[in-house]
Amino acid sequence: MTPPDGVEAPSGTRLRIIEAAYACVARDGIAKTTLEAAAQEANVARATVYRYFPGGRDELFGAVVAWEVERFFAGVRVDVGDVPDFATYLERGLLAARRRFTEHTLLQDLLAGEAEMLVPPLVEVMPLVVNLLAADLALRLKRERLRPGVDPEVAGDLLARMTLSHMGTPGVWDLDAPGEARRLVREWWLAGVLAD
Amino acid sequence: MTPTVSVDGLLAGYRQADEQQHRVAEATVRCIGTWGIAKTSLDDIARAAGMSRATLYRVAPGGKERLIAAVVCFEVGRCFARIDDELAAAGDLADVLTRGITTSMRMVTTHPVIKALVEHEPDRILPHFAFDQLGRSLAVTSELARPHLARHLPEDAIAPAAEWAARIVLTYSINPSASVDPHDPESVRRLVATYVMPALARLQEAAP
Repeated sequence: MTPPDGVEAPSGTRLRIIEAAYACVARDGIAKTTLEAAAQEANVARATVYRYFPGGRDELFGAVVAWEVERFFAGVRVDVGDVPDFATYLERGLLAARRRFTEHTLLQDLLAGEAEMLVPPLVEVMPLVVNLLAADLALRLKRERLRPGVDPEVAGDLLARMTLSHMGTPGVWDLDAPGEARRLVREWWLAGVLAD
Repeated sequence: MTPTVSVDGLLAGYRQADEQQHRVAEATVRCIGTWGIAKTSLDDIARAAGMSRATLYRVAPGGKERLIAAVVCFEVGRCFARIDDELAAAGDLADVLTRGITTSMRMVTTHPVIKALVEHEPDRILPHFAFDQLGRSLAVTSELARPHLARHLPEDAIAPAAEWAARIVLTYSINPSASVDPHDPESVRRLVATYVMPALARLQEAAP
């Protein structure tokens, strides 16, 4: 998953600090992961951490969230693989995202125990994820026969939002049940998008 | 701890509130909209409501957190009552969805408390609209739309349709897009007509 323009994937010391902070959170949770703890884990001085993350703990934690979100969706992409058919691509993407989401032990633990600390930075990074997924879907939609009045950008945006919404909150749809994801994607989401 | 909320409960709580409860709720909304939850004291609320602390305690006993929880229920009830009235006036299914989505989005994006909390105390509000807790919020909102959708859809389509509309309200309220502007009902009508109605129209046709 290529990073958006202007945002480089972290490398070198910056990456080491992020990985160290992630390890601290995995071990001790969010509240107990201080800047000092991350510095110690990364084997750098506290001042070094501040140089890379002048906004302090909040900025570091935001960077950790963004980094892990990127890894998460890179994994989803690998799961989906290459699928030429748009409906199947969306269906597989939804299921892969949902499966990885429920199986992400650290994420589930943090949502159960420290949601108020995790949700705000996640919500902050979501629009970026939406935009990337929306652009990907819009590009694929332009190769499909669409219903009259359908704008691939608007449709891609809506479908990206619904995919992420269902990934995090299944609601009344049991996506594990056979055929449910297929029904949601083809009979509900795409009924207004793809020409028959 | 408050029991699981129901739409009927929330509506009743609002519609049956007396004058003093209204005053307390409005005062609390004004205070939180200005200073947020942490910085709003019971003294602030009493002053804004034009009451003594003693009177405030009588109207809303149990301390600050309990008062805020009660005011949240009251406010949600008030917003639901508005949406309920709006939906009752709707015509066909597309109209129900358009009005419901437009009114809800407008409320969410302009409510002073929601704006203040999202901006300054996101940890107090965002968890209610994400992941597991969102599931509960979706269920409650779907319950509000149910009788209005039941006029137009077969039984097994009501809950998914209501939930779809609720997800649309939430995503475009939290993360705005040029294509869906709650202050432009026409943009919502277009979204509903193009992307939502085709699936629902098929379900209407298929119904026995």
